[in-house]
Amino acid sequence: MKVSLFITCISDALFPPIGEAMSQLLARYGVRLDFPKVQTCCGQPAFNSGYWDEAKASAKTILEAFDDSDFVIAPSGSCTGMIHHYYPKLFEHDAALLEKSRRLQEKTYEFTQFLVQVLGVTDVGAYFPHKVTYHPSCHGTRLLGIKDELMELMSHVEGMEYVPLPYAEDCCGFGGTFAVKMSEISGAMVEEKSQHVLETEAEVLVGLDMGCLLNIGGNLKFQGKPVRVMHLAELLYEGVRNREQTAGV
Amino acid sequence: MAKSDPEFLARLDRESREAEKRFIGNIAHRLGRPAAGPAPVHPYRGAPDFWASYELGTEEKIGRFMDNWRAAGGYPERIASMSGVPEVIARIAKERQARSTIRQNLPELASLQLESVLPELSHHAWNGRDHEGSLNICEQADVGIVLADHAAAYTGTIVVASSADKGRSVSLLPNVLIAVIPAERMYTRLGEAMSRVASIPAERFPAGVHFISGPSRSSDIENDLTIGVHGPGAAYALIVG
Amino acid sequence: MSKPQGSNVKERARTALQDEFLIDAVKFTTERLKNGKKAATAEHGNWEEWRERGRQIRAHTVAHLDYYLSRFIENARAQGVHVHFAPEGKDAARIAMDIAKHRGAKSVVKSKSMVSEEVHINEAFEQIGIESIESDLGEYIIQLANEPPSHIIIPAIHKNRRQIAELLSKEAGETLPPETQVLAGFARRKLRDKFLEADIGLTGCNFGIAETGTVVIFENEGNARMVSTVPKIQITLMGMERLIPTWDDLEVMATLLPRSATGQKMTMYMSGITGPKRTEDGDGPEEMHVIIVDNGRSLQLGDPDFQELLNCIRCGACLNACPVYRHIGGHSYPGTYSGPIGAVLTPALNKNAEEWHDIANASSLCGACYEACPVKIPLHDMLVYLRNRKVERGVTAPGEKMAMRGFKMLMGSHAWFERAVKAGQLGQKLLVRGGVIKSRIGPLGGWTAYRHIPALPKKSFREQWTKVTAEAENSFKPMTDEMKSRMEKIVQSRAKGGH
Repeated sequence: MKVSLFITCISDALFPPIGEAMSQLLARYGVRLDFPKVQTCCGQPAFNSGYWDEAKASAKTILEAFDDSDFVIAPSGSCTGMIHHYYPKLFEHDAALLEKSRRLQEKTYEFTQFLVQVLGVTDVGAYFPHKVTYHPSCHGTRLLGIKDELMELMSHVEGMEYVPLPYAEDCCGFGGTFAVKMSEISGAMVEEKSQHVLETEAEVLVGLDMGCLLNIGGNLKFQGKPVRVMHLAELLYEGVRNREQTAGV
Repeated sequence: MAKSDPEFLARLDRESREAEKRFIGNIAHRLGRPAAGPAPVHPYRGAPDFWASYELGTEEKIGRFMDNWRAAGGYPERIASMSGVPEVIARIAKERQARSTIRQNLPELASLQLESVLPELSHHAWNGRDHEGSLNICEQADVGIVLADHAAAYTGTIVVASSADKGRSVSLLPNVLIAVIPAERMYTRLGEAMSRVASIPAERFPAGVHFISGPSRSSDIENDLTIGVHGPGAAYALIVG
Repeated sequence: MSKPQGSNVKERARTALQDEFLIDAVKFTTERLKNGKKAATAEHGNWEEWRERGRQIRAHTVAHLDYYLSRFIENARAQGVHVHFAPEGKDAARIAMDIAKHRGAKSVVKSKSMVSEEVHINEAFEQIGIESIESDLGEYIIQLANEPPSHIIIPAIHKNRRQIAELLSKEAGETLPPETQVLAGFARRKLRDKFLEADIGLTGCNFGIAETGTVVIFENEGNARMVSTVPKIQITLMGMERLIPTWDDLEVMATLLPRSATGQKMTMYMSGITGPKRTEDGDGPEEMHVIIVDNGRSLQLGDPDFQELLNCIRCGACLNACPVYRHIGGHSYPGTYSGPIGAVLTPALNKNAEEWHDIANASSLCGACYEACPVKIPLHDMLVYLRNRKVERGVTAPGEKMAMRGFKMLMGSHAWFERAVKAGQLGQKLLVRGGVIKSRIGPLGGWTAYRHIPALPKKSFREQWTKVTAEAENSFKPMTDEMKSRMEKIVQSRAKGGH
């Protein structure tokens, strides 16, 4: 079984610890990740801006990278959603690439979906003694329907206090190039989101999409607020290490 | 305003028939058809299948209707038989300090004999032949009394259709609306009332079919609810039986 | 056709964002409407089934619009309705004016109609000296303020009671206190007189029922009933796509529309009007006209990306759900319709014209609109399609085009991607302070005005891969048989064409 990691461009360049956490966690379940280096970006920034030729150039690297994989896992509901929801549109006029994208679609999973739906893992044995809140990213929840998977995994983390985020389903205002093109609207949205995060008094904000977390985390930093922002893979991995260290592994 | 001009209307209708060909032709063309298509198969008609079997018992229906009517800001009451209706109307008229009533010109409502129960009030029945007069009476009346054609419990809705004897204004212009609803006309679903309306043949189809679910209301000022904006501010539903 | 006035969406939004009351008012009310819808749909149950049925009915009707519209026309005429056709907005205004002028009408009372906003009917009547008065309370308020509606359902959502009291006081000639009951009471008295003296009642149309030629109007105030009961002439403006085949289908729309719009089980009134008053009837209009309006709608027919736009039932739920609308209000959008539906409908009805080009950018594509839509219109997808059409037409900002060319080069091959990341790691040194970038130079400006950017780490993930995979090996545990068989089953089911 070839299980490949689609790291996503944002985690590749900006957040390498996420890929490390995924590799480490999955190794504990007998999954040796494969990492095809020809991958770059799912193409979403260009696609969403309407530049489909440009998006195709980028998306083709993904089709190529994972053509012979059995499973593809990405630490992002948004990039996974791009493959599931928009590749059929992007390649609708190219039969060969459309067929490739269809095959990619059926084997690509967002990280928590892979853990819960494919491996059947809901308790990774993590211990994480902190107050945590969660921002459900729009694409992951609305396009992919991730909801129960994350909650299932979180509910088994020991020592953790989970505080629901008020207005959790509201968009954080990231929206890719929207944050730059319509910066004032996006700014107002992220400020409101940060306010809700701060209301929970959580030490940690966890999520499944680094675009949104880059946005909310960047605004919290801008405001000088010491909330730690983590991808769920990082939180689980840190929790597993906490447990292993206590057990003296 | 000048009187209706048949010649002018005939000209508009001729123009309309010409314009229709182009208008519908364009739609058909856009949809990839040379001309307007034949009747299509209509596979998704009405509510989802499971809904057709949703059926409440008589008491449940009445209870549900009353809850909904009350929640909408109306006043529901249950009355055992038609003979109990006049005294309830008399009570309402007194509470509301009414001086006059207008009712649909129906035998069921005439038999209430409001003239003898409330002799100090002036009472009127709708008269379709006297357009101006009836409208003025309605506009001056404090209470409008109608007999519901149908009612639906699930949404707390009554249906009142217009006719020569059933002016639309009766349920609209007075400040207080009293709807008398024979229990046997109460259905569970809105759709049951709708299909009964739909089954009326074209030549007898009423010009106005009004579904009423409570008093007139608005939330247009700071989302603050106001009752009685243009229509009746007090809506009574008297369920009989 | 209206045009965006001077400024673009971004500039209008900037003004709105600074108007604290406006934003508070819009947030407060959309929040209430959103919660109302949530409660009403939960209480009703099986919402997804109803939604899907609503979509099916609307999609079917639009796909056979030529047939259903013909049936509607035939049945309406049989009941004595004079039917007219308006390929463009100005045609609708012309026909309505013709009717009014020929009879020497002096005044018109109107109930709420978005199409009438689209075709600017009030201005048309005013020009020929006919008074045209809005009778929906919210519409009346904004008519006095000389503003367009900023919400499909709550037109004066952006006004507070003090502003409203001021407007109505001017009309009353005395100072009215800012109390809802008093203000509404004044409007009732004032408008009651208008209803009684008006020559023409003008209404919109929520649905046209093909099988009987019936015009269906949903409302709470009773003003649409007034408009269609008292004046001698009734003119109804109907968007050509407003149809449903049968009364049975109306049950589905009556289930979806009020719950989605205001969280009500039913609006207080739903009227089915089928032709003018019968000869023996005592009230109702003597003459009834229905003007069927295209005004850009037919452009969507046969367009696989946009035909579904015509399924819209104008409930406003997408506005209430939209985080962008909540922050900038309806007047930031050009055109008659605001919020997500407006962002798509306005350019679509106007042939995707260049001057509307920035409106589709005012969305984070979060999909809340689609989730809220009672007939499942994928507005978030359509916004992307609109952006794509702009690019295909070459209507793009020069900077953006350059940036995207750069994107194509860097993301088109991993070698270039790696080089770019490397260059960033080295080049950022001038900008990084305390592990973050705060600079507002160039394209970063919009981002860093609200956020810091974390510095690129010294090594990207791919540069660390060899080390990462070697270290993970230390924690490797063999896979359980159960997991193995789960994975194999999944792969096998794919080979069979299943999922």
